[in-house]
Amino acid sequence: MAQFIPADSPIEQLAGDLGANGLPYALPIHPNLVHLTIGLFVIAIAFDIAGALYPVEKRVFRFLALPITRGGFHDVGWYNLLACAIATFFTVAAGFFEMLLAVPLPGVTSTIGLQSMQTMLWHGVGGVVILLVIVGMTVWRGYQRFVWRRDMGRQVQWLYLLVGLFLFLVIGLHGTLGAELAGEFGVHITADQLLAAGADLKEALP
Amino acid sequence: MLELLPPLNEHNLPWMDTLHPIVVHFVIAMGLITFVFDLIGVLTRRSALFEVSFWNLLFATAAIFVAIIFGQVEAGLAEPYGASRDILNLHSTIGWSLAGVLSLMSGWRYVIRSKDPQQLPLAFLGAGGLLTALIVVQVTLGNQLIWVYGLHTVPVVQAMRAGLV
Repeated sequence: MAQFIPADSPIEQLAGDLGANGLPYALPIHPNLVHLTIGLFVIAIAFDIAGALYPVEKRVFRFLALPITRGGFHDVGWYNLLACAIATFFTVAAGFFEMLLAVPLPGVTSTIGLQSMQTMLWHGVGGVVILLVIVGMTVWRGYQRFVWRRDMGRQVQWLYLLVGLFLFLVIGLHGTLGAELAGEFGVHITADQLLAAGADLKEALP
Repeated sequence: MLELLPPLNEHNLPWMDTLHPIVVHFVIAMGLITFVFDLIGVLTRRSALFEVSFWNLLFATAAIFVAIIFGQVEAGLAEPYGASRDILNLHSTIGWSLAGVLSLMSGWRYVIRSKDPQQLPLAFLGAGGLLTALIVVQVTLGNQLIWVYGLHTVPVVQAMRAGLV
């Protein structure tokens, strides 16, 4: 089967509007929103674990003279996850915009053995799946907080915490792909793109 | 000191990839959300949010010291060039200052919470605003080191080892 692959990349239509980093602005947005997604998710699950294990750890906090309540820990678990779900829509949206403008360096194979297009496809689809799981977990968390377990001390099911911990692993792998797109494929990094274009960094980035 | 670390890879690092940008997730997200939750808590009179921001602030404070440890090791191996040398110096200085600011704010917040966890003085909200501004400046500087100058990225490390930068 003959495959149609045009010589010119569609990105050339926009080339005049883009900087050396391949973006219409100096610093990419997606990697900054990722801080919110990952930080808020990890701390949300961590504090729900702290709330679930409250009977074990309360002596430690008494020793530290730090007054705590179980409900306070679960409040962190709920509000951080809610903020994470909201922020992650923007993380994924910015990610797709910037991935559409990505020009990965050719001839590179990443540390985990993928080429650039494979890495971008896994990172793109994975990002949407993670957004769906985060939103699903937020709804699940809401039902536990306000309906199923509203009168219970431990506000979360053990299964919820297990799913959260599993998502840590998925996010870790997913983040590795994203880091490789930058640090190995040079996506949206001015210096890497300039070097690929044959520029002298001593002159181009003094 | 360097001989204590494993051999350096194509990122000029003794480990797979930069760890500092991962640890700072927790300083940035927890630092910023502290101010957001404090603001919403004051505006909507939801004092439960003050407890949430207290814990986030405490976590940001713990995380920044880990971020500084990895940041210093990775800065030492970054081989900055051109203007990135000055940016890295400024980023390091503000990073250490942020550790002081976060520690002071955590202490202050601990006292506020001990006295009355339902109230938040407006002065603390103002300090949270200043913290937010400081974090934004610090993140912008860190962004320039990676997204403009590409420190620790494979192509820049290759160019550096070939004596091109």
